[in-house]
Amino acid sequence: MTLLRQTGLMLWKDTLLELRRRESLLTMFFFGTLLLFVFNFAFDLAPDKIAGMAPGLLWLAFLFTGTLGLAQLFQAERENHNLDALLLSPLDGGALFLAKAAFNLILMVLVEIVVIPLFWILFNLPAWNLLPQIFLVTLLGTVGFCVLGTLMSAITLRARARELLLPLVLFPLMIPVILATIRCMAEVLRTGQFGDQVAWLRLLLGFDVIFLTAGVLIFDWVIES
Amino acid sequence: MIRQSRKRKGILGALALVTVLFSLYWSLVVAPPDAYQGEVQRIMYLHLPSILIAYLSYFLVFIGSGLYLWKREKRDDLLAHAAAELGVLFTALTIIEGSVWGRPTWGVWWTWDARLTLTAILLLIYVGYLMLRSLIEDENRAAMAAAVLGIIGFLDIPLIHMSVYWWRTLHQPPSILRPDKLPWENVHPSMLTALTISFVAFLLLYFYLLSLRYRVGEMHQEVIARRLERGA
Amino acid sequence: MGPWGFVSLAYGIVWGTLVVYLIFLKRRYSRATVELDQLRPMGEAGGDEKK
Repeated sequence: MTLLRQTGLMLWKDTLLELRRRESLLTMFFFGTLLLFVFNFAFDLAPDKIAGMAPGLLWLAFLFTGTLGLAQLFQAERENHNLDALLLSPLDGGALFLAKAAFNLILMVLVEIVVIPLFWILFNLPAWNLLPQIFLVTLLGTVGFCVLGTLMSAITLRARARELLLPLVLFPLMIPVILATIRCMAEVLRTGQFGDQVAWLRLLLGFDVIFLTAGVLIFDWVIES
Repeated sequence: MIRQSRKRKGILGALALVTVLFSLYWSLVVAPPDAYQGEVQRIMYLHLPSILIAYLSYFLVFIGSGLYLWKREKRDDLLAHAAAELGVLFTALTIIEGSVWGRPTWGVWWTWDARLTLTAILLLIYVGYLMLRSLIEDENRAAMAAAVLGIIGFLDIPLIHMSVYWWRTLHQPPSILRPDKLPWENVHPSMLTALTISFVAFLLLYFYLLSLRYRVGEMHQEVIARRLERGA
Repeated sequence: MGPWGFVSLAYGIVWGTLVVYLIFLKRRYSRATVELDQLRPMGEAGGDEKK
């Protein structure tokens, strides 16, 4: 069975589980929205300031929401020793990695598709025509988050205080993605195009490719832990 | 055999001590004060070697982690763990040195310039590494998880470098002071000597500490193994 | 705080910390050695080869 087929099968399994119980998607969606409300009270979001703060707030919301999703990512495998069963099967670790990362990506994208326009509406942001570029940046950043996050989620699987440890190890490593996405978004909101910030996009792409590859190669060892 | 390696460690330690004292003398007495920064510039003789040693340490974590994943030999994992602990130590020292240097030079204890920020991020990553190790009960699982983190973390470092430097240089309004340039003009040869001696001193001290820390880890492993043998 | 004050602060913290760390490390070292020696004589036939 090829890598892609294995990935597809596992992704399909996770999707079916999620469709049946819908626990991850709904919690993530509501949590993301809740954060937006909290931001409104926590920060002085006057119309002139909001454009500058928007990328940062958006990404904060996604980071925390995404971490929720990551914490749940291997939930099914933790129960009933499924992980051991997977280990015994001739499954390619890389396929499991891709499937999990892709699953989290799907969840996050679904949340983002709703939250970003919601954010625009709630805070009266102008320039709806810029949304495609915003989505592009968000997508690239989310891929990086899901790839690195899946790795970190897996290695912290058997640790105590896992809910605290996961963000602790993940967030510092995410800094290139955070900086890149926020800078790009800020530039887009300011001038309507990427301009000289396009280098950030290349950085994001590089980040995604590097850790995607590393993850696929390394995951066999990860699940042994 | 044990006696031999203990003796070697002792010699290394003595050598380190001598070099350290020598470097202190050179850094504080022989080297002239900087033309612009005055005496405070002497902190550089701590700061540069510290950060270099920290990077060396993290490189060793990377090597140890990689070798462990490949060959599963306990000694590689021991190396990675020891190097991570020392790396955190020297990184923390670098940050403190940078801060103390910053206060008289730019008037602030902290600034989000590229170098200090990068060093802080480095600290966070490897503190995370140590926490990961301590929070996983099973020794072998902990070693495996840590090895993966050791590799991923190190791979991320160039990306973090790039992003932080860009962050600090592409968006700087002209009025803000940019305290992330080292005044390298007029480097007196005596200063270079002081720097080199200091670096050698730190290096020797580092390897001395590393050998001790490694041995502690090794003994810890043996204690566990022997306890298991006895069913304790 | 004059310039030498900052220099002393930096050098003091650095070397102070390193000395303290070394002391703690040596303590861990000797404790581990003692523990190891205690576990060794029991049930082990003479000549314990170390690599």
